Amino acid sequence: MKNILLLEDLPEIRAWMKTLVLQVFPGSQISESARVHDAIELISAVRFDLALIDLGLPDGSGVDVVARLRETQPEAQSVVVTIHDDDEHLFPALQAGAFGYLLKEQAREAISEQLNRMSQGEPPLSPSIARRVISHFANQAKPQARAHNIPHVSLTDRENEVLLRVAKGFTLPEIGVQLNLSRHTIADYVKQIYRKLNVSSRAEAALEAQRLGLFRS
Amino acid sequence: MFDRSIATRRQWHWWLALALGGGLVFTALVLPAIAQHRPESRVPTIVIREAVATLAETDRHPLDMPGTRVALPDPWDRTHPNHDGSIWYRANFDRPAMVEPDDLLALYIERVCSNVQVHLNGHRIHSGGSMVEPVARNCHYPQIVSLPAALLQDQDNVLDLKVRGTSLPRVAARQRAGGLSALAIGSQEQLAGEYAVHAFWSVGSVKIVSMVLAVLGVAMIGLAILNPREAHLGYFGWLALGWALLSARVWWRDVPMDTASAEFLFSASFGVIVALAVQFLLSHAGVRSRMLESALLAQCVVMPMSLLLAGPGRLFVMVAAWFVVFAGEVLAASVLHLRLLRRERRTDFWGMAAALAAASAIVLGELAVQRGWVEPPPFQLLQFALPLVLVAVGVRMLVQFALSLQRAESGRVSLESRVAEITAEVERNYAQLAELRVEQVTQAERKRIAGDLHDDLGAKLLTIVHTSESERISSLAREALEEMRLSVRGLTGKPMRLADALADWRAEVVQRLGQAAIEIDWRGPAEETEQLLQARAYVQTTRILREAVSNIIKHSGASHCKVRCAIADDHFGLNIQDNGRGIPMELDGKLDRGHGMSSMKHRAKQMQGQCLVESGPGYGTVIRLTLPL
Repeated sequence: MKNILLLEDLPEIRAWMKTLVLQVFPGSQISESARVHDAIELISAVRFDLALIDLGLPDGSGVDVVARLRETQPEAQSVVVTIHDDDEHLFPALQAGAFGYLLKEQAREAISEQLNRMSQGEPPLSPSIARRVISHFANQAKPQARAHNIPHVSLTDRENEVLLRVAKGFTLPEIGVQLNLSRHTIADYVKQIYRKLNVSSRAEAALEAQRLGLFRS
Repeated sequence: MFDRSIATRRQWHWWLALALGGGLVFTALVLPAIAQHRPESRVPTIVIREAVATLAETDRHPLDMPGTRVALPDPWDRTHPNHDGSIWYRANFDRPAMVEPDDLLALYIERVCSNVQVHLNGHRIHSGGSMVEPVARNCHYPQIVSLPAALLQDQDNVLDLKVRGTSLPRVAARQRAGGLSALAIGSQEQLAGEYAVHAFWSVGSVKIVSMVLAVLGVAMIGLAILNPREAHLGYFGWLALGWALLSARVWWRDVPMDTASAEFLFSASFGVIVALAVQFLLSHAGVRSRMLESALLAQCVVMPMSLLLAGPGRLFVMVAAWFVVFAGEVLAASVLHLRLLRRERRTDFWGMAAALAAASAIVLGELAVQRGWVEPPPFQLLQFALPLVLVAVGVRMLVQFALSLQRAESGRVSLESRVAEITAEVERNYAQLAELRVEQVTQAERKRIAGDLHDDLGAKLLTIVHTSESERISSLAREALEEMRLSVRGLTGKPMRLADALADWRAEVVQRLGQAAIEIDWRGPAEETEQLLQARAYVQTTRILREAVSNIIKHSGASHCKVRCAIADDHFGLNIQDNGRGIPMELDGKLDRGHGMSSMKHRAKQMQGQCLVESGPGYGTVIRLTLPL
């Protein structure tokens, strides 16, 4: 039995998602919400295992909900559900701690399969996202970033290898074959990449906030 | 460096012009005068150093009146002080023996003041001009008188001179007090030479230098009128012009007024000249004092008043006293001027110092002459030497003015070019800014449209996708949503690396064909290139590729698909080949429109590219896409 948060402003889609989620995770407890404000209230009251979060909401961005959930309930898995497939929209959510993303318009079967995979710890990773991750870590390795004393999180060689291959357009199963790694191992690398992206992004954000004087140390 | 070299070159020209001009004046005026003075042709002349003087206004020598023997030269202030009027001088001489009988004889009088009439053996042979007021003013002119041979006797010739003069107290300068120099009788030719030299140095030189000074003065006044800020030029101009006019007292014989008036007028003008000189010195040093100006102006009035009050009989004393005052004033102004120049480290300090020192020496010399301490030099101190100094100063000021004008001009030119530069830069920046702004506005507008599309159209299409009962409508809506997303990307996207685009396409194609269990063999270019692909090209190629893959999955029944990508310098090619059943021909010989071939070709054409489809039953299908980069 899972506790699931469903944040979606369109009623029809929310209803559709709800039936789909109930099919994938039968008997789960679903908390519905149409606004960022409501979702954040729910988070402070309920412990979730999984959160399906839309990005463009009437009173704000789902990214804030992802970040709040990552802060208060690190065990909860945030999945971004959106009609934006481009990295410009997705990457901030991933930095905030989202574990993966789903494209809303996909067919029921496709979404079911991806949800299943994610719940089993196999998040998706597109070439454009991989490129953003690479440039994120490359920027952090730059001397001026190091000088700012950002807690340094670096990827392992294997993780880098996987990222580079994804960025070149190879699919995760292909990379598993190329590197002679099991599907689970590859999935673990991807999970690590997401986690490290979140950690280093949060450190960066905190430092930026400090620099702007948002809070005093 | 450049400026300096120009300045030196200019100076060169300047010195050359000065040398040539000076040389011309020298050859034209000074050389002939000297040449007349050849010592080798000198024949002894009779010099009469004694005469009988009789005070009388008669037309003929008053034989009835007693005379006194006087030595020549006879300065009246010593022998006949306070005498105004005429004195008859009589001297006897024999025809000089050394002179050839045919040679013309002449009487040479170096100085006679103010005028003279000459009688030889009872005949009047010469008159210097009017002998009654206004008396001709010949004080500065030497006199030469030809002695007619017919009147000459070999021995005991009687020479009568009627000299009309003014006593020293009634003139402003010792040079114009009555008097007669020694008389020389000799060859006309030889004495004429002496006469020329003397006349040149005492009158001719004054005329020349006055003329130069007057022209210079007028030029300076003109400059000062055009440049009101350069007040010192104006003062100097008036000073020069005034001085030139005042020098007329030396060479102007027939002044249309009596001696007393003329002397008074010339003396009174001195106040004005001194005021101008002081004002020039002050303004050149950058000082202006209203009090001093008023004082100088008052002096111009007080001085003539004092002369009038003292009366014509005390003119010399008064003028001498004023002369000392004036000299003191000018000296004080000079000292102040030089101190200021030195303090401001002006470049013209040494030039002005030299000029003022020379002027002071000249003025002191003249003072000494007037006091009777020294004999007057053979040339005019105040009317020749001082104007020369003035001309030098004036020319130097003109040069400096020209230099500063040139500097100002070059400054203006450089300023103008700088302004032009800055204007061009501002315009350039403005154009760039405008361009940037247009770009920003366009970008913002595109983003807004994209957001609207996503939020509005996207949400509606999504609702259709997930609520429609009909699978066909759902998939149409899904396709529409995908299309919309691509359109938005084409609208707002930035150019991306071609290599990245290829990676995206590969991931999508491999995933989709993988899901459809179709074997895929994708080979991209061996090396990664840094070439860029416009967002529109990326979007259109994505559509073509999607359509092609959809066709393979839906219609071809293929089990294998080969994709080849190649990048050349200015274009790239994409070949998609399957081993399916091929596209059936329509009756009109064209390929099936339902497979979207025409839209693929149309998209390729939009990007100035080409999309070729080769297909036949049993041969599979090959799609060759070529796009310019």
